[in-house]
Amino acid sequence: MEDSVTRFIRSAALGLLVAATAPAMVRAQEATTPPADAAQKVEEVHGRLEGMNEQVQTLVTDVDKLKKFKLSGYIQARWETSENKSDSVRVTGTPPTVTPANTERFYIRRGRLKMTYDSSPLSQAVVYFDGGTDRTIRLLEAYVTLLDPWTTLHKHALTMGQMNVPFGYEIERSSSVRELPERSRAENVLFSGERDRGVKLVSQWTPQFETVVAVMNGGGVNQPDFPNTDPTRAKDIMGRARFSQGTVDAAVSYYDGKNVTPLTGPDVSTDKTRFGADAQVYYALPVVGGGSLRGEVYGGKEVNPDSVRTMTSTSSASPRLLLSGAEPSHFATDFLGWYAMWVQNLGEKLQVAARYDVYDPNTDLDLDQFERVSVGLNWFYDGFTRISVSYDAPTTRPNPSGSARFNAASPAARPSDPADNLWTVQLQHKF
Amino acid sequence: MRRLHHVITAAALAATFAGSAYGARGLTVKGSDTMVILGQRWAEQYMNANPGRIIQVTGGGSGTGIAALINGTTEICMASRPMKADEKRKLRDRYQSMGVEIAVAKDGLSIYLNEQNPVKELSFEQLRDIYTGAITNWKQVGGSDAQIVLYGRENSSGTYVYFKDNVLLGRDYSARCQTLPGTAAVVNAVAKDPNGIGYGGAAYAKGVRDCAVKKDASSPAVLPSAATIKDGSYPVTRDLYLYTRLKPAGEAKKFIDYVLSTEGQSLATQVGYFPIR
Repeated sequence: MEDSVTRFIRSAALGLLVAATAPAMVRAQEATTPPADAAQKVEEVHGRLEGMNEQVQTLVTDVDKLKKFKLSGYIQARWETSENKSDSVRVTGTPPTVTPANTERFYIRRGRLKMTYDSSPLSQAVVYFDGGTDRTIRLLEAYVTLLDPWTTLHKHALTMGQMNVPFGYEIERSSSVRELPERSRAENVLFSGERDRGVKLVSQWTPQFETVVAVMNGGGVNQPDFPNTDPTRAKDIMGRARFSQGTVDAAVSYYDGKNVTPLTGPDVSTDKTRFGADAQVYYALPVVGGGSLRGEVYGGKEVNPDSVRTMTSTSSASPRLLLSGAEPSHFATDFLGWYAMWVQNLGEKLQVAARYDVYDPNTDLDLDQFERVSVGLNWFYDGFTRISVSYDAPTTRPNPSGSARFNAASPAARPSDPADNLWTVQLQHKF
Repeated sequence: MRRLHHVITAAALAATFAGSAYGARGLTVKGSDTMVILGQRWAEQYMNANPGRIIQVTGGGSGTGIAALINGTTEICMASRPMKADEKRKLRDRYQSMGVEIAVAKDGLSIYLNEQNPVKELSFEQLRDIYTGAITNWKQVGGSDAQIVLYGRENSSGTYVYFKDNVLLGRDYSARCQTLPGTAAVVNAVAKDPNGIGYGGAAYAKGVRDCAVKKDASSPAVLPSAATIKDGSYPVTRDLYLYTRLKPAGEAKKFIDYVLSTEGQSLATQVGYFPIR
């Protein structure tokens, strides 16, 4: 955008210059022009040039202001087909719902527009919208960043607003650069929506070492009550420390908060602690291209997704009570998630990726974990467009009856691994 | 599985086709305006020695060249500053590689003054104060009683970044600094403005006077010259770089080998820069 604006100004200035000087030059070449007239004409042209120079300076000043405004975004259009696709789509219930979801479809996974305004060298504002899956435009991020004025390289940045939760490697990486269509299951469950409202301080202590500390509401943008209530009634705190050498990067993350499950009557408050560690190693293969090996672990205590089965309703709008025999203290359980990933570029246009990811929502239970193998192929069509084909093969373990903590409420046992392997073809354009 | 095999094969064929069509346009070299004349001379001589080869050299600034390297629209980037950490991260996100940096020449960054300006020397501190707006009158640095007019480069320029990082020590330019689209434009502006001051490559200093620079108040004032830039006594010297995404191969490697050859380095000297070794 900057280049095109600069080119426009140059072209406009050149055009004005040519338009103003060409007639004068032609006239100057006329042999019959008396010297006094010629001097007058030169003076006139000089005056015009001075005037145009002032106009150009005004334009440059205006354009300099526009240059502070940056527009970027990307679109991810997909076609996906799942093993459990069905032609028996039905509309049932009140209000009507579609059962089951159509899983062979075209859809827009993400359609994002980001506007950044660098107000001054010391402050920046960002507004980021998504008009993707849910067909409505929603606010994804909105924040103001202040850079510290007391270090010459502005090593500390304070940001307040709605932004990414500073935890883990997957969240901080834009979906537009990810090699597989979606993040790991652990990240999806623990940080649904990836964003929350709060304040964070990023400090770049050395070129290799960075820390982030943040205080946030804790619910996240996909929490049902967001943004009207602070479901924890106390802010969650989190921190991340990253060492980045270039070919080897490593980081640890920590999150501490409370999770309040609203009930009709006294709410249930449980611990929400998360630990994370991630590392990435990069290498280059002669002729073939660059590659990387990555891994990340998520651990801690979290409200078990199965806990909703112990309540009469998942909505706070209708009476939500514990089912007979359910133990509120068992809402939160120890969890463990991790993934290992390999990415290899094949020349400059092709890239392959493979990942194995695991999420065990309750480490006290056996056979309740989710596992998935994902493979993908990316073709970089040009500098802005990427075509991706990926295949996900998830394995969902059956939920054993009889030994589970939550079976007092008779949770429905999951069937054996459902046929839900998924092909995704994605066309992405980033600008 | 057979379906996956077909998809991969089709994609590979399409990518190969796209890659070959891209290569047919020749080698592209893009980036630093400071280096564009040097790059064009290297390309001309290389193409003369290798008939049939096509090398396109364009400017736009180091930042623009690095962006082009990341989005794949140039094979080689010219940069008058090292890549920043976030630029390396973007390159790594796309290519799993931090890029390959090749220092190809040395440059002295001249401080341009108008021929009529009586000021002969400035220290780093004075330059810093002038360009951050703390000093606004030539009288404050031994000149005449006139307001200082600042000329500089756009923020996509490597010279802009180098000057900011190394002379201003990261501080921000005064809002009064007029940004111009190339070093030649800065030289031209200072040549016409008796109260002007600018900065840019030593090779461009035609019609203006170089200002001697002192690293601190007690250091000797040094003018940019072949000897002072080469031996490092002139305090505002920098390396000029070529960047590639991966280890250079094919035509890019041959061109870079030429740039680093005795002939290529001697061409750098002719254009007004200095050999890297």
